[in-house]
Amino acid sequence: MKRTLLLLAVAAASVLSTQVKVYAHHSFAATYFEDQEVKIEGKLVQFLYRNPHSFVHIEAPDDKGVMQTWAVEWGAGGQLSRDGVTRESLKPGDIVVVTGNPGRNPDDHRIRMRSITRPSDGWNWKGVVQ
Amino acid sequence: MTSSLLLPIAALVSVCAFGQGAVGEFVPDVGFDLSGNWNPLLHEDFPERIPGPELVNYAGLPINEGSRLWGESWNASRLTMPEHQCQVHVSPYIYRGPLQMRVWDEKDPQSQKIIAIKNYISTYEQTRTIWMDGRPHPPAWAAHTWMGFSTGKWDGNILTVYTTHIKQGWVRRDGLPESDQATLIEHFIRHGEHLTHVSMVTDPVYLTEPLVKSQDFLLNTNAGGNWLYPCEEVEEVEGRPRGAVPNYLPGQNPFITEYANMYHLPLIAALGGPETMYPEFEKVIKNPPPTPSDRLARDEIVPMPVPNAAQNPNPTDGEVHILPVQGNVYMLVGAGGNITVQVGDMGVLIVDTGLAETADKVIAAIHKLAPDKPLQYIINTHVHPDHTGGNEKLRAAGVTITGANVTGDIADAGKGAAVLAHQAVLDRLSMASGKQPAAPVGAWPTDTFLGDSKTLWFNDEPVEILHEKAAHTDGDSIVFFRHSDVIAAGDIFVTTGYPFIDLARGGSIQGELDALNNLLDLAIAKHDEEGGTYIVPGHGRLCDRWELIEYRDMVTIIRDRIQAMLKKGMTLDQVKASRPTMDYDARYGADKGFGTTDQFVEAVYKSLGGK
Repeated sequence: MKRTLLLLAVAAASVLSTQVKVYAHHSFAATYFEDQEVKIEGKLVQFLYRNPHSFVHIEAPDDKGVMQTWAVEWGAGGQLSRDGVTRESLKPGDIVVVTGNPGRNPDDHRIRMRSITRPSDGWNWKGVVQ
Repeated sequence: MTSSLLLPIAALVSVCAFGQGAVGEFVPDVGFDLSGNWNPLLHEDFPERIPGPELVNYAGLPINEGSRLWGESWNASRLTMPEHQCQVHVSPYIYRGPLQMRVWDEKDPQSQKIIAIKNYISTYEQTRTIWMDGRPHPPAWAAHTWMGFSTGKWDGNILTVYTTHIKQGWVRRDGLPESDQATLIEHFIRHGEHLTHVSMVTDPVYLTEPLVKSQDFLLNTNAGGNWLYPCEEVEEVEGRPRGAVPNYLPGQNPFITEYANMYHLPLIAALGGPETMYPEFEKVIKNPPPTPSDRLARDEIVPMPVPNAAQNPNPTDGEVHILPVQGNVYMLVGAGGNITVQVGDMGVLIVDTGLAETADKVIAAIHKLAPDKPLQYIINTHVHPDHTGGNEKLRAAGVTITGANVTGDIADAGKGAAVLAHQAVLDRLSMASGKQPAAPVGAWPTDTFLGDSKTLWFNDEPVEILHEKAAHTDGDSIVFFRHSDVIAAGDIFVTTGYPFIDLARGGSIQGELDALNNLLDLAIAKHDEEGGTYIVPGHGRLCDRWELIEYRDMVTIIRDRIQAMLKKGMTLDQVKASRPTMDYDARYGADKGFGTTDQFVEAVYKSLGGK
């Protein structure tokens, strides 16, 4: 039971720290390194505004300088809508800067969005993907 | 709250389960109607629900070794595949995270008796029906759904629900599987504005004992929003080779110890199992045995064979049964291999003819479906006698509609149904092979094709016969009813075992995988990998695209493992001894009869070039 209590305590702390409010269709903990953050800058090639999660695909170099297409997982359509992000907020060709948690499989070139900024006009979003 | 603490509560409630009283007749006390909008209370097992369980966190779950291996080989990248993006949480899991739930009664307008209690669960837009009118559960060969088939009854003020026919899904969404053999007992208990839901899932394939969970809901009298959750699959990861299924080879999952280390737990606790559910496990935690993280390296352990725990999906009464599929198409079971029947104004077309000894019963079943229509076409998916054995009798029972622009007797040409197949089927049926004599002339295909496909228009729908090269055999065809949206897959796809790759008759593992991927390309789900295109497997229950996906994944993963073992120079005996199929054996394995696990492993090994 001590173990159970310990786990519950850890869980409660985890909840407070992440402040995630809505259930995700998959486990973020299983999909991303939640304790790491990466930053990429590149050209947006696709914005998929959808459920269960939206995606932006960005052409940007990896840490070796090789150009990759990154799949950046974002919020569900409902969440983004509440945050003021619409289907027209981004368009292909936009140069954007993204920060987020890297995926566990480096070959997938996936990121869980934490922030996105378009330097040309300062448009940005920051938050927790739900 | 998972498992141990709930067991006494669950046991108490279970005493009431399915006790006395006629189904559907009990009317609960005023105030115990479950109707309304309900919001989940997420305090129980919060980390598992939000943001989701960590990898290799199996603590407190009564999983067996096969489940553990399945979970450890699971790579989260699998969820990036388009066919996995809209995987719905099955009914034993989905109540842990519905965004909203609506409950209402469906009543007979004449008698006002409750026919069903419905749940709408906004996550994945699932509408669940709990039948309260005493109807029986479908037969074992019927299709499965995410929510399963549920029947309920009131025990006092507790709604008790029994569910079967659930699709394969999660026990925990970090890769721990729940098989399609799982069944579920639930209790819905209302206390004013609170609703407690207790679930007990039994899975003979992956659980050693029932998994008991509870969750709570609060009545929401101010529900808003549209509660929609459409899921569209997209290409999340570019450039992945067709048919590739991300997975970790045994012993190569880099995250085995991550959770245990994060919480300073011995690995044996993180790896779960029934012993981790109970307080006595505290003693083990204090003095844990060494558990090397690479314990799953297949050449370092001697896994035990796992008996098959799956339900027999075939009739046991010796009769041939008819199952409506959709559109013009039906499935006949009980004749050896499954038979697909298309009926309409023009007559009857069947795919495969079953065993010779059941031919009369098949003819009777067809007559029941279309008493006044001629059997015009027989299509053979491949050469094996459980699919062609009835050819001679069935052909004789049909006719070929023909004609001519000359005066004369064309009666001979009209005798018997036309039998269509790939040329390789005729070649093999007409030649003695080893100790097997050639089939009688009357059983041979009358019309063959040599290329990739043959098409015909029959009963107001296009029918495609698509040849799959070197898959189960060298003469395989799948048959696609384009209007009814049904595919007869032959033995390329079965739910009763591993694919039987008949190397002696030209089969191969790559051809088998190509064929499964081709089938997947044809099948389109109606909603979140459910419904839409139905697939009649060569053996076993009716399926849709989801079963095909999981089957393709399994065959691919096992192929990957055996390929890796071949690269390491392992002999066939060493490969067999390492049980590369262990996580699937309780569902698909066999140690005797036709198509054993060893035969499958050997066929894959040799097909990949092993000697």
